[in-house]
Amino acid sequence: MIKNYFKIAWRNLLKSKGYTLINIGGLALGMAIVLLISLWVYDELTFNQSHDNYNDIAQVMSRKTRNGKKAIRYAMPYPIGDELRAKYGEDFKHVVMSSFHGDNVLAIDDKKLSRRGGFMEPGALSMLSLDMIYGDWEGLNDPNSIVISESTAKSFFGEDNPLGNTMRIANKLDVLVTGVYKDMPYNTTFKDLDFIVPWALYALSFPWVKEAKDNNLWGNNSYQLFVQIAEGKTMTAVTNTIKNTILNNIPEYGKREKPELVLHPMKDWHLRSDWKDGFNAGGFIQYVWLFGVVGLFVLLLACINFMNLSTAQSEKRAKEVGIRKTVGSSKYQLINQFLSESFLVVLMAFVLAACLVFLAMPSFNDMADKQIVFPFKSVTFWLASLVFITITSLLAGSYPALYLSAFRPVKVLKGTFKSGKSTTSFRQALVVVQFTVSVILVIGTIVVEKQIDYSKNRPIGYEMNGLVMIEKTTEDYEGKYNIMRNDLISSGAVVDMAESSSPLTDVWSTNSGFEWEGKSPDFITNIATVSVSHDYGKTIDWDVVEGRDFSRTFATDSTAFILNETAVKYMDLKTPIGKIIRWNNQEHQVIGTVKDILAVSPFEPVLPTVYMIKYFNTNWINLKLHPSQSTSTSLATIKTILSKHAPNVPFEYQFVDNTFAEKFEAVERIRKLSTIFAIFAIFISCLGLFGLASFIAEQRTKEIGIRKVVGASVFSLWQLLSKGFVKLVVLAILVATPLAYYGVSQWLNNYTYRTEVSWWVFAIACIGAIGITLLTVSFQAIKVAVANPIKSLRTE
Amino acid sequence: MILQLKNIFKWVNSGGNRVFLLNDIDFTVNEGEFISIMGPSGSGKTTLLNVIGMLDNFNEGEYTFLDESVHDLKEKHRANLYKEYIGFVFQSYHLIDELTVYENIETPLLYKKHSRSERKAMVADMLDRFNIVGKKDLFPSQLSGGQQQLVGIARALVSSPKLILADEPTGNLNSAQGEEIMQLFKKLNEEGVTIIQVTHSESNATYGSRTIHLKDGLIVNN
Repeated sequence: MIKNYFKIAWRNLLKSKGYTLINIGGLALGMAIVLLISLWVYDELTFNQSHDNYNDIAQVMSRKTRNGKKAIRYAMPYPIGDELRAKYGEDFKHVVMSSFHGDNVLAIDDKKLSRRGGFMEPGALSMLSLDMIYGDWEGLNDPNSIVISESTAKSFFGEDNPLGNTMRIANKLDVLVTGVYKDMPYNTTFKDLDFIVPWALYALSFPWVKEAKDNNLWGNNSYQLFVQIAEGKTMTAVTNTIKNTILNNIPEYGKREKPELVLHPMKDWHLRSDWKDGFNAGGFIQYVWLFGVVGLFVLLLACINFMNLSTAQSEKRAKEVGIRKTVGSSKYQLINQFLSESFLVVLMAFVLAACLVFLAMPSFNDMADKQIVFPFKSVTFWLASLVFITITSLLAGSYPALYLSAFRPVKVLKGTFKSGKSTTSFRQALVVVQFTVSVILVIGTIVVEKQIDYSKNRPIGYEMNGLVMIEKTTEDYEGKYNIMRNDLISSGAVVDMAESSSPLTDVWSTNSGFEWEGKSPDFITNIATVSVSHDYGKTIDWDVVEGRDFSRTFATDSTAFILNETAVKYMDLKTPIGKIIRWNNQEHQVIGTVKDILAVSPFEPVLPTVYMIKYFNTNWINLKLHPSQSTSTSLATIKTILSKHAPNVPFEYQFVDNTFAEKFEAVERIRKLSTIFAIFAIFISCLGLFGLASFIAEQRTKEIGIRKVVGASVFSLWQLLSKGFVKLVVLAILVATPLAYYGVSQWLNNYTYRTEVSWWVFAIACIGAIGITLLTVSFQAIKVAVANPIKSLRTE
Repeated sequence: MILQLKNIFKWVNSGGNRVFLLNDIDFTVNEGEFISIMGPSGSGKTTLLNVIGMLDNFNEGEYTFLDESVHDLKEKHRANLYKEYIGFVFQSYHLIDELTVYENIETPLLYKKHSRSERKAMVADMLDRFNIVGKKDLFPSQLSGGQQQLVGIARALVSSPKLILADEPTGNLNSAQGEEIMQLFKKLNEEGVTIIQVTHSESNATYGSRTIHLKDGLIVNN
């Protein structure tokens, strides 16, 4: 029976090749997109799941209240780890204090490589369930040890067992390799962690850490804290238990901020990392949802094509239904037959889709910044695919099956059967749905594009071209500022050089405790502080608005402040120049104001920022390359000069514009994906429209012949045939516009600095949709309109 | 007695008027009969045949088929009944274009739970009987009208029905082909199959044992 069904289905498919192509091709495209999106969503949802203790790991953060506003802080005070262990030991399996991870120089003899790592408490290895190739999870118990990743081990030791070798870190600490772990998978938070050194070593090697440790500084927040809660405990319960740990220990001045501990579970790190007013506000999960829904819609579009074309062919199938019923088929058997037919089509489409996905995987990975592998070997994948195929065939095939199987034999066999008005309006409704989805996707894509353009055109407050940043990962550069600067400038490679405590593309420290005349005593300040050298302004070419830049001719500039415009507004200073600001028991005079420098997020307001002079412990060297010399020559010269002054440091640099561009990566990715989905949605809709248009044109051949005989022009016939479709698309636009408006407004609300939703976005989408419709339909319309009426009438 | 119609009425409402398609039909068919229904176009011949074949409903009256009251039966039972006992032959053959001769003949068996080997035997028997074994893998479009109608009859007969309903079976055929088909019907009738045919042709009607004349839905003589 089934065989018979498939046989006739197959022959029907062969008989109308055009429809079959549209049907299977469209479905395959839709299914390919759904497959890609599913793989992507799965990858996003399983982020970090390679850690065995995924469900029990959390990062500890604090919720602080400043000026009535709550905010989440990641940085923790030094003593908190020991305090949690001592007081609430039974709540935790592991309490792991950690430094913020960053680049460090690792060295064996003359081989020096910059690698990313951090200081962590010994429990880290077992908490993260690292897959140890050499050594074990006890590897960090000795304070002078280091555990390295497999790839780091390879670059230093090749295939040899590195255990027992000594490495030097930051050009000053000697540590013994006690373990090697397999590189963590790419979809984990710690994927870049190349080495871990013991937490105990941190205080031993950095005076400021030692100070925090020895003096039990609860007010200095410079560390991270990860925990694994004990078995049987819940995140909520543990949160409630430890909530007031900081509040109970912090000195009086800190209590005003009412710090409250919050556990951020590992399963939320990746997808729910946004905080609003001190509470979790989702994050990337919204895109996972969004693309999931888009995928379903694209599939729906493809299914609609199937339904549309199947019912459009109903007249051809009606006779068969009639005959089958007279020779004894029940309605149920016919439904089965048509469903197996749609199953066959969907199955073929799936095979095609799987091939498409396989071929598209590399470019998709590239675009989405993923390393997804087509899961050939996963039984789950194939089972899920089977479910997917079944659901799709039911979705696409049930309406045609019910519709076709309900024909009454007496009517269809008489030969007078014409599909009624109701099916036409059903098909029209389907076209409206298709175009609604497409128009929404197009509007969404344009708005994403517009938002990116808008934030890219935002003034950045300095000249980015030719700026190079070098991070000082060791102390080797200390005290060599002037001599290095002179060498670099006289070499002709750079125009100027300056140092700063934060990179140009981020703010590394914010501080409180600023006082000035007219400040309300309740106002808790939080201002970004950037220490710079005298030449900073000239190097980056910032815009002085009022007053003047730092200058070596004024000795008093060593305590002077330069404010950015936001800081002036934040402090509500009418005439900022000459104002005295007290901070850390010292008076600072404001000597100038500068245009805001866009350092953190291109979508958020600039932080109020104070610039001050400091030559000690600055973290970054900024270089302005000489514009008339080629970049590669300049870089080579710079490398030679720097390695003369700091021979133990590998030469690593970044271009400011590249680093800045990374801020757009996430949103660019969304733009690319949504563009692709929109294009496919339109394409699939057009396929459907094309099929329907050819069907209707065929159906109206006789009418058009008669009209032509009585004198209709080709143009008027084209109008006649196109009008109906344009009407449908206009209706779709009317439905889509408010939905799209609501959607994009919601999305833009994520960004403080955002473009507006202009009317022309909708105009473009509408004109585009109508234009594409006309193009699609006209092909068929004109073909019928220019046909010789004698021929079309003779066929009757 | 194979079937009996008692006071069958069928009508449609057209512009406030009731138009009778079948008007008080009384009519009994005994096993082994070969009946011809004649009458001008629009007299209700095909409607009557469809009512007998249970493809169409009627508005009033009683219809008994092999002691079952058709008018009381649910759609599904009715379908089972005609599936079991009735075979149809159409003027325009109504073969499924996408199926071969063999597959067309096999179709009714598919709906009757015969095993594969049984089906094979039954279809082979039909092919043999109608001398079309060599054509079994051809599609309907590759056959002449007469051959198509042979296949149509083979399909109607393959499940050994008690009654064959034929709606102008020779209407689309030339006279020689028509003659052949009528001879075949006659032979089938002699083998015991009850046949009711609708026809326009007096000569075709002569093959039958009895002729019913219809006019405007009424039986004019019996």
